[in-house]
Amino acid sequence: MKLARKPLKLGILYSQSGSYGRLSRASRRGALRAIEAVNEDDSFGFTFDAIERDPEGNIDLYAPLCTEILAEGSVSHVIGCVTSWSRKEVIPVLEKFGATLWYSLPYEGFEASDHVVYTHACPNQHLLPLLSWILPRFGDRGYLAGSNYIWGWELNRVARELIQEAGGEILGERHLALNDTDVDRLIEEISATRPNFVLNSLVGESSYAFLKAFAALAKRDSYFTPESCPILSCNLTESEFPKIGDAAEGLISTGPYFHGAKGWPCQGKREFESSLEAASWAAVMELSLLLRANPGFEHAPISELLKVNRQRTMIDTETHHTALPVLVAQVKDRSFHVLEQWEDIPADPYLSYSERRTGVRQPSLRVVK
Amino acid sequence: MKVRLHIPDLSKLRVAILHRPHTTVQSLRRQCKPIGLEAFDCWPELPPKALAADFVFFDADMGYDAQFPWKSGEAPMPMIALIGSEAPGRIEWSLSQGADAQILKPVGDGGVFSALLIARRAFEVRQTMRNEINVLRGRLSQRQTVVQAVTLLAATGRSEDEAYALLRHLAMSRRETIEEAAHRLVHDAQNEGGLHGQFNEY
Repeated sequence: MKLARKPLKLGILYSQSGSYGRLSRASRRGALRAIEAVNEDDSFGFTFDAIERDPEGNIDLYAPLCTEILAEGSVSHVIGCVTSWSRKEVIPVLEKFGATLWYSLPYEGFEASDHVVYTHACPNQHLLPLLSWILPRFGDRGYLAGSNYIWGWELNRVARELIQEAGGEILGERHLALNDTDVDRLIEEISATRPNFVLNSLVGESSYAFLKAFAALAKRDSYFTPESCPILSCNLTESEFPKIGDAAEGLISTGPYFHGAKGWPCQGKREFESSLEAASWAAVMELSLLLRANPGFEHAPISELLKVNRQRTMIDTETHHTALPVLVAQVKDRSFHVLEQWEDIPADPYLSYSERRTGVRQPSLRVVK
Repeated sequence: MKVRLHIPDLSKLRVAILHRPHTTVQSLRRQCKPIGLEAFDCWPELPPKALAADFVFFDADMGYDAQFPWKSGEAPMPMIALIGSEAPGRIEWSLSQGADAQILKPVGDGGVFSALLIARRAFEVRQTMRNEINVLRGRLSQRQTVVQAVTLLAATGRSEDEAYALLRHLAMSRRETIEEAAHRLVHDAQNEGGLHGQFNEY
């Protein structure tokens, strides 16, 4: 006779509406798929019950709703949050309850909370490899566009430093307020300065408006085609294609996964729409594997669980970040085509360890696009 | 392309934590690791290797002057106070030790990275100012020598303004400060035992 599987509660804290609802819903789908996969698999001695709250994109609802989830009792793990601000809002709540947040989006680094596990990329896993790949191929004169938000500020700051270190030049830098779609000035500056590439760290509607305006610029002036002046991104995924349409063509992005990739997180056995779905799926699966390997630690703080764990895990016990592949890919016919790939790059959230950087890949004589 | 970041530039730096064994120490050490710092803790005294530390965290609650191998306020590295009791006496003591930044106890999930950067900046500013003040003090104390040198030069038939202009010119041509030029001039004059004909060579 089979033993009955123990039900475990798993908190879910994703906004299903609001300005970043598209990203949030993609992340939520990945988490729900993983919960379903675990629940169908008898090798796990437990099943997950999702305890879900929806902050609707309202930053002030994250802390109270996270409290609500944890106050139910016997919830020790929550998966959720899309923006860094929301993550920072819930950390004090997690500390109070000794609970863990599984955060599965690319972010700007400079954090390593004892109560958070980070399963998507930080700058040494997105921005650094992307620039190290781009500079030798396209040149080192860049234009930096970003949202007036911690993601835009920090990415552009690190990019500026990297480009200048490499002897390159920043031809301009402009930040737009969140959801601002007035991109004319940006386009005019880019058009006037003619950089080798544009780093787009805009988010949401600002980014979509910018990509459309840039595509229009490329139609007027052939210098701005992806062959001579590509747009780069560290956060654009397939989940946003429906909002952008053809304007994303030629864009070069980076992430641990693109639709159809065969490696992480499950060696191609399942397909995900984008890295957002893949990273939240990976978060729930990493948690499940840790709990399966360490029975009795279902409600332990993550630091304790990682300490007792002897099974292989991609999560670093010091930083709580995940070792990830790094893919550089370009949009062609509305899907990403991988141009370069590194395996198992450990995270370095404070950019302290030079040995955790990806090696520079010099271009071969002809770049096949 | 060699990728080397100036920011945050804290990797491999050594951190001394002067605090009795406590969860505070564990939290600090845990935060230090991802930043790339090598932390060690000690109590009640700072061991000799602390002199080579790049930062010192010290307990403001139970700390006392004799713990430190340097004079109060003259730490050779940035200092960060670990404050539990916010009693004015303890804060005053922390300041007298030269606290460049502080973290409140209990130490939770964050605070170390920003405290380090703030402490380092405050320390650097303090060091720069201290050096500048020393230089200015030295120059102030040389005022008398400058007056003597101008008098010497004026004694050769120049006006005071001309004498001062000549002194400046001498200093500039030898790439030294006016005070140094004045010192050399006065020194030479004293050694030669007289003034007449001394300055024709300049």
